[in-house]
Amino acid sequence: MSEPVLEIPEGWEERAVDGWEWATLWEAVEEGDHGYSHDRVQQAIDAGIDPRVILDDGLFPGFNLQGDRFSEQIIFIPEMLITARAMKAGLALIRPLLAANDEKPLGTFIMGTVLGDMHDIGQSIVTIMLENAGFNVINLGTDVHPDKFIETAAEEKADMIGFSALLSTTVYYQKVTIDEFEKAGHRDKVHILIGGAPTTQEWADECGADGWGRDAMEAVKLARRLITDQRGAWA
Amino acid sequence: MSDTVQLRIRDDDGQEQSITATRGETLLDAAHRSGVEITATCGMRGRCRSCRCKIIDGTMPPPTVADTVQLGHEEIRERFRLACQTRIVADTVIKPMPPKSESGHQLLGGHVETTSLDLVSGVEKIAITAKAPVSEHHQTSDIEEVFMAIGEPLKSRLVPGSLLQDLPAKLREQKGALTVTLFRGKIVDIEVGDTTEKSYGMAIDIGTTSIVGSLLDLETGEELAAVGMLNPQAPFGADLMSRIAYAQFKPKNLAQLRGKVLSGLNDLVRQAAEKADVSAAHVYKIVIVGNTCMHHILLGIDVSYLGLAPYAPAVRDAQTIAAADLPLKSAPHAHICTLPILAGFVGADALACVLSTRIYDSDTVRGLVDIGTNGEMVLGSKDKLIACSAPAGPAFEGAQIRHGMRGAVGAIERVTISDDVACQTIGGDAAVGICGSGLIEACARMSDARVLNRMGSIKSTDDLPEAIAARIRKSDHGQEFVLVWQTEGGKEEDISLTQGDVRQLQLAKAAIFSGVMMLMKAMDVSAEEVDELLLCGGFGNYVDIESAVRIRLLPEMDPEKITYAGNAALMGAQMATLSEAEIERAETLVGTIEHVALAARTDFQELFIDGMNFGEPGLQILSQQDEAIAV
Repeated sequence: MSEPVLEIPEGWEERAVDGWEWATLWEAVEEGDHGYSHDRVQQAIDAGIDPRVILDDGLFPGFNLQGDRFSEQIIFIPEMLITARAMKAGLALIRPLLAANDEKPLGTFIMGTVLGDMHDIGQSIVTIMLENAGFNVINLGTDVHPDKFIETAAEEKADMIGFSALLSTTVYYQKVTIDEFEKAGHRDKVHILIGGAPTTQEWADECGADGWGRDAMEAVKLARRLITDQRGAWA
Repeated sequence: MSDTVQLRIRDDDGQEQSITATRGETLLDAAHRSGVEITATCGMRGRCRSCRCKIIDGTMPPPTVADTVQLGHEEIRERFRLACQTRIVADTVIKPMPPKSESGHQLLGGHVETTSLDLVSGVEKIAITAKAPVSEHHQTSDIEEVFMAIGEPLKSRLVPGSLLQDLPAKLREQKGALTVTLFRGKIVDIEVGDTTEKSYGMAIDIGTTSIVGSLLDLETGEELAAVGMLNPQAPFGADLMSRIAYAQFKPKNLAQLRGKVLSGLNDLVRQAAEKADVSAAHVYKIVIVGNTCMHHILLGIDVSYLGLAPYAPAVRDAQTIAAADLPLKSAPHAHICTLPILAGFVGADALACVLSTRIYDSDTVRGLVDIGTNGEMVLGSKDKLIACSAPAGPAFEGAQIRHGMRGAVGAIERVTISDDVACQTIGGDAAVGICGSGLIEACARMSDARVLNRMGSIKSTDDLPEAIAARIRKSDHGQEFVLVWQTEGGKEEDISLTQGDVRQLQLAKAAIFSGVMMLMKAMDVSAEEVDELLLCGGFGNYVDIESAVRIRLLPEMDPEKITYAGNAALMGAQMATLSEAEIERAETLVGTIEHVALAARTDFQELFIDGMNFGEPGLQILSQQDEAIAV
């Protein structure tokens, strides 16, 4: 296990403008300074740097560093949350510009905690991370009925659904909800991912999910990998 | 290929038990089915090492991911496997080798002060002389003669059938000298001679981890015996949720858990009677308290929905059941009374704590906290009481902590750090692991020594003493801090605290901390305005208060105002055993205590995240409104 290090994007100087530096933004995202993150991203936009470049070269390095540290338990939920917020402060300015540039989201992801479970923190972190990674995420909150998942998936023509469960007593509803997608005839149209403290890869296999993320970072990696695999089309 | 294989399980003495197992089932399932108990603290999810076994002979099953994560490559090579993960493929000989000793487990009793109690227990013994019927002309019956001799009309003339069966002989044995025992005005026992002095009751607290009981003289209030045992359901999961998950939608598993607790109770009652040198047949009233899940399982009530929001119990009122109906064979004449339940996770044990601490009668705001896998807390005064529960998980019991163990002999319980680390164990033996109170103290001292930063990361800093710096290292399990070197301890390896252990503790202590803070917020009082915080229950009484405040397990308040209340739940049960008025009081109280549902409140999440930090308030991440992070 090696200590995660800041991965400096190769050739960032050529993509920025003369005399520009990103190091302060990398550090601001790492340390969760959302005020600076917002200001620096605005400066970058004003300086005419491409929004895609701001995202990849300016925001992601600090975010990925903390994400890797989070996976290794070097940092914990509170620090991950402030980093996610700093990332989001910058992303909020860039997102409309990306859309204007005709950059499409990677896909539509419906997220929620299953019926009977009120836990919110884990799925909120995953939601922010997926958004940061370029997904259009619709978060249904906690204690979500299977019908609500199905209804929203159909309305939004979802590509992917994530079921969070934080209790060993509610993982049961991950399976139930997957079964309901099957019954509704929608199972082949979406990728279903599960996660949460009591879950395992074995459980994911058993309940019929397409994938399991050990933590938020892995969930995002998994989503990025699976999204390239086309599912059946929504009517 | 045959579908069955032979599994032989060897014990510490080299004795083997042979069982027939189905190919493909796990070692643990096969063992449990044949009555061999192997503890699965994590609920058979491959998340702990309590079911570790050594494969003595037979085809070596390939290690699963969970085996590798929990045991490491070294132990895998040494033929260790997790019984809950390993599937039997061929005839095998195994030896269960749980990684820690659980001998000398601490059980906390307590005895209530009885002077202020109204000692009317509901049990009444009356010595009578009844005449056997003498005239065939004047038709009467044995039992009618008994009623006649009692004189006063009884609440009910119903008599248990078993008492009628041998009544004729009893009535005539000593010329009609009998003792009739009434419980709440109904006959529950008829004995020959005068046994009026033999009137006993029991108070029992069924905890998720341990069961404690005390046998009481109902006339004097005196405690005659104190007994305790580990909850025999423990092999099916250490915490409440894994117990519920095991029984959820599986009536057979529920019956199995129920059978475990019933046989445990039978033994406990028998033990207590033996210890007090009395007959368990003279135990007439048993008050049982416990959390809602333990209560439901005892009564055989489906717990499936207790594990799902909104966690509604099937019944909240106090229950009374005859021993024969439970069944509790060892105390055949007893009635089992349960105290009322407040909510799905605020059970009869919490009500019992309220009774014994009498916070319902307090002029100033006081609080009580039961620190356990499911933390229960109540705050208030005579004007208003509010309660909540916070799921801390089993970290405080040493579960899912790499070198964790229960508070037993050889567990590190005290830690001091100056130029180097010094650990003190329970019983003074060589250290074999660390218990919950030791974990809290280790983190407090590591924070003081700046080995742990306020966010909970194990970090080396420049000016650490050499001996301390040498204890911080990277391992297969991430960053860790060595508490006891192998050469100084009683284990075949160094005893360390890993970064993952600290994270488990952070989640657990944040749950308790934020629960108490939430109640203060709901009550609109500050920590300074709380006059007293009482620590109830087994674990709370072993925690070092200063350390608990230091790591923010307990709120930042004057440690002088935090006191140990002993096993307040057991004491409340004792009060209810001795006094019917206390059961009535509990029934009134349950209707007035307001339950605060933490999970449903967004301000709770904020407190919870802040509560994960050590030592000082953490980053105020949610003070500024940000919709996406308003988790």
